[in-house]
Amino acid sequence: MKRAERIVAAAFLVTIISALALFVVYMRGGNTQAEGALLAIALGGVGVGLLVWAKRLMPHIRDETQPRAKAVPATEADLEATVETMESGVEEIRRRRFLSRMLLGAAGALGLAALIPIRSLGRSPGDSLLHTKWTPGAKLVTIDGTPVTASTLEIGSFTTVFPEGHEGSADSQAVLIRVEPGQLQLTEAAMAGAPDGLVAYSKICTHAGCPLGLYLAATHELRCPCHQSTFDVLDGAKPVYGPAPRPLPQLPIEIAEDGALFATGDFPAPVGPSFWELG
Amino acid sequence: MAGRANAEARVLSKVLRIGLAVAILGQIAWSFRPEPSSAQPELEAEGRALYEANCSTCHALDAGGTVNGPSLQQVGPAAVDFMLRTGRMPLANPNDQPERGEPKFSPDEIDALIAYVASIAPGGPPIPTVDVSAGDLALGSETFLDNCAGCHGAGASGDSVGGGQIAPSLYPADPREIGEAVRIGPGVMPKFGPETIDQRQLDSLAAYLEWLHDNGDEGGLQLGRVGAVAEGLVAVVVGLGILILVLRLTGAKR
Amino acid sequence: MIVRRLVDGVDERLDGTSFIRHNLRKVFPDHWSFMLGELALYSFALLLLTGTFLSLFFVASPATTVYQGPYEPLQGRDVSLAYESVLRVSFEVRAGLVMRQTHHWAALVFVASMTAHLVRVFFTGAFRKPRELSWLIGVSLLVAGIGAGFTGYSLPDDLLSGTGLRIIYSAVLSIPVIGTWLAYLFFGGEFPSPELIPRLFVMHILLIPAAITGLLSAHLALVWHQTHTQFRPKGTPEATVTGTPVWPKFALKSIGLAFMTFAVLAGLGGLAQINPVWLYGPFVPYSAPSPAQPDFYAGWLEGILRLWPNWEFQLFGHTIGELFLPAVVVPGIIFTALALWPFIEARARRDTAVHHDAQRPREAPVRSGIGAAGIAFFVLLMLAGSNDVLAKYLQVEVDTLNAVLKVLLFVVPAITGLITWWICRDLARRGAAPIARPTRVEFVRNAAGGFDEGDDGGQRSAAPVPGTPTDGEAP
Repeated sequence: MKRAERIVAAAFLVTIISALALFVVYMRGGNTQAEGALLAIALGGVGVGLLVWAKRLMPHIRDETQPRAKAVPATEADLEATVETMESGVEEIRRRRFLSRMLLGAAGALGLAALIPIRSLGRSPGDSLLHTKWTPGAKLVTIDGTPVTASTLEIGSFTTVFPEGHEGSADSQAVLIRVEPGQLQLTEAAMAGAPDGLVAYSKICTHAGCPLGLYLAATHELRCPCHQSTFDVLDGAKPVYGPAPRPLPQLPIEIAEDGALFATGDFPAPVGPSFWELG
Repeated sequence: MAGRANAEARVLSKVLRIGLAVAILGQIAWSFRPEPSSAQPELEAEGRALYEANCSTCHALDAGGTVNGPSLQQVGPAAVDFMLRTGRMPLANPNDQPERGEPKFSPDEIDALIAYVASIAPGGPPIPTVDVSAGDLALGSETFLDNCAGCHGAGASGDSVGGGQIAPSLYPADPREIGEAVRIGPGVMPKFGPETIDQRQLDSLAAYLEWLHDNGDEGGLQLGRVGAVAEGLVAVVVGLGILILVLRLTGAKR
Repeated sequence: MIVRRLVDGVDERLDGTSFIRHNLRKVFPDHWSFMLGELALYSFALLLLTGTFLSLFFVASPATTVYQGPYEPLQGRDVSLAYESVLRVSFEVRAGLVMRQTHHWAALVFVASMTAHLVRVFFTGAFRKPRELSWLIGVSLLVAGIGAGFTGYSLPDDLLSGTGLRIIYSAVLSIPVIGTWLAYLFFGGEFPSPELIPRLFVMHILLIPAAITGLLSAHLALVWHQTHTQFRPKGTPEATVTGTPVWPKFALKSIGLAFMTFAVLAGLGGLAQINPVWLYGPFVPYSAPSPAQPDFYAGWLEGILRLWPNWEFQLFGHTIGELFLPAVVVPGIIFTALALWPFIEARARRDTAVHHDAQRPREAPVRSGIGAAGIAFFVLLMLAGSNDVLAKYLQVEVDTLNAVLKVLLFVVPAITGLITWWICRDLARRGAAPIARPTRVEFVRNAAGGFDEGDDGGQRSAAPVPGTPTDGEAP
């Protein structure tokens, strides 16, 4: 047997063996790594066999030359005849002006009507982007429903909060942070909603909407893992780095008599990334 | 009167002999006295010596801090243990980022320093007890994904967090270090007290991270657990690369 | 005997014997770089095969259930049925994980090989008249492939892909005037809508594959009909193509290549972990993991988003969101320019001739320079998209890396383009390393039983070229 033939035969034999092995692996419960390796070997065996056969055992007809186009190219008369055929058909319709205009109108109307079901794909946005589920008096709770009190957080700590009854709500998610009381530099009105060093901001990044999962406690910065927008917690969550254009809206909160935290209203601005109706 | 002087001398020598015996016995007895709680003064003394030699330049003799190092007031034994056992402290250059390395002190020296710092800067989180066997993997992974994955990566292999900081890979950390880091919030990391991550969650977190050491890679080579970046690199370099090699072996080159 | 009866049968019914003979004897040039498209073709075939298997197990439902499967760290968690079905395929269905991972690796190699193929076509000028339509179809295939990949890896409803969906939703929101309407229409309401996963499923297994299959068929038919471009050997007449007949050699090589493609993808599928959704956990809208990157073919878009400044504009009391320019306009311009390139270049060169010859890059220095600059630009964007991972491994500050990349993004492509242009011009002028192929090959039987080409020194044989007008044979 010639060498190339031996190689091809060996390759196909390898395939047969690994295909059988695959069968065994599968019957014995399967194993992802073994399956992948054996598949690669089995398929590769066929591949190598075919490639070597084609390259080394078949006639090396590499340089046969053929014309690309049809032997006889179209003449000017041909082209004219084709144009004539096409146009005569169109002319039949165009002749009847009124009817073809009506046809156009009918087709247009029907076409527009066909698009109507697309409207059923989703509801109108309305003002849903402008509000969240936070209402005055809503208690702050964590994802498992545990109410958050004034003593839950130590200084330098943070947690994710929701309005009671809406745990996990995508648009209402907020991050509650505790800093040293004197460090906050908010406006007077904003300070009223941030008692005792506790401040809450929307957790939705105003760039592309990712939840702000990183809190750098030592530098008091909230950072977004998606595109690195960074917000200064002490200064009203203004963006200090990255592509976010607007600060995070602050959730105004107060401490109740029993120590529980509650919101005094919804976010003063729409949460999340900007849109046309933002104003 | 020789008789009376002799009698006096005999009494005196008797007294002296008894006194000497008492003194010797007393010395022996004194050396067996019970140690007051692990020789605290000795430990603190040793700690004080270590502290003054290695820490006071940056953290000040009274642990109040200097321009080169923060105050250690209220940091707690957990912080001291964490920083020393992971070799982050002492820091040769105060402008460097603290990084995990070989601890400079032996465990006994670390205990001494903990005792001493506690004496001059009391308070702060104690060394937490973390019981991996009491943890629940499902609670651990949920706690991890909700609180830690944003900085340390879903695969716990770490990530850059900005400002020149890197949230490190969590694989080198043992359960005690994990517990300490969670409670103290080292570096830029926030802290999580028992009200935010309770003991059961902490045990579970440590259990999950330990489990991740040897599990979670049913699919094969884990490629650093950094996700799509590594996968894309492998697809182009290995996948397409091998196939282009095949093309060049089987196709014409001219 | 059987073959004769087959041919008779076909001829009686379809009258196609000469058609069959003509096409079996059709020649294709076999330069290695002309096979890159086949890599994409076979990756797609494997995607269809493995994808069919997966679609028989996937549950496209957002309804939640409590996970009770064998993966311990998720037991007791609330997960969607979609996520649970992917975990089931990965851990409970025999051969499920290797099928799933092979499918995902095939998707990455599909887009990578399409890109490599596009680059080859670009640098050899194979998009020129009469092949502009093929180019347009090809660019559409690339976009469809990226869309298929994105919808596909969002199906498991895991934390990482869900975050990606949020970003696309925000990008649509940012479109002026109609953005919020479009977003609500296509995403089924405010994010995250329960309609989203079922819709992605329909896109991924029906609409996009149907589009790809249709476009691909047209693409192949065009290549077949118009014949493949080639580096024309010296001495062969214009408007001819020289190569290997389809049957049996070229076809067998191609099938062999298909198996090699399957082999590499299956090997990766079993040995290299990809998209371990169990580590990311189920999607919840209030968490995001890190590092957060899309699959590599969207890495350039991620780079644009990370580097773009935080500009936002007001117009008539309304806001044009920051995302609009980097996420919608810029990609739109890039792909439109890419699609229109054949027409742009033809206009710029005032070139209305028909071209069947592939050019060497040096024969078109300006185009090659622009192409090289484009590639450099995309590579830098990809680096920017992985900046946090890069920064960690290079031990540099990520914010500094960003600043450096913003500068390099314009400097490196410019320099690369200029250097490429200069090298091409120089090579062309010097006539270095010309393509020298004998026009006729003698083949000699060798001791191993195969055939070897003998070099006749470039002398042309006296025999006429079959099929050209001087030959009486019908084409």
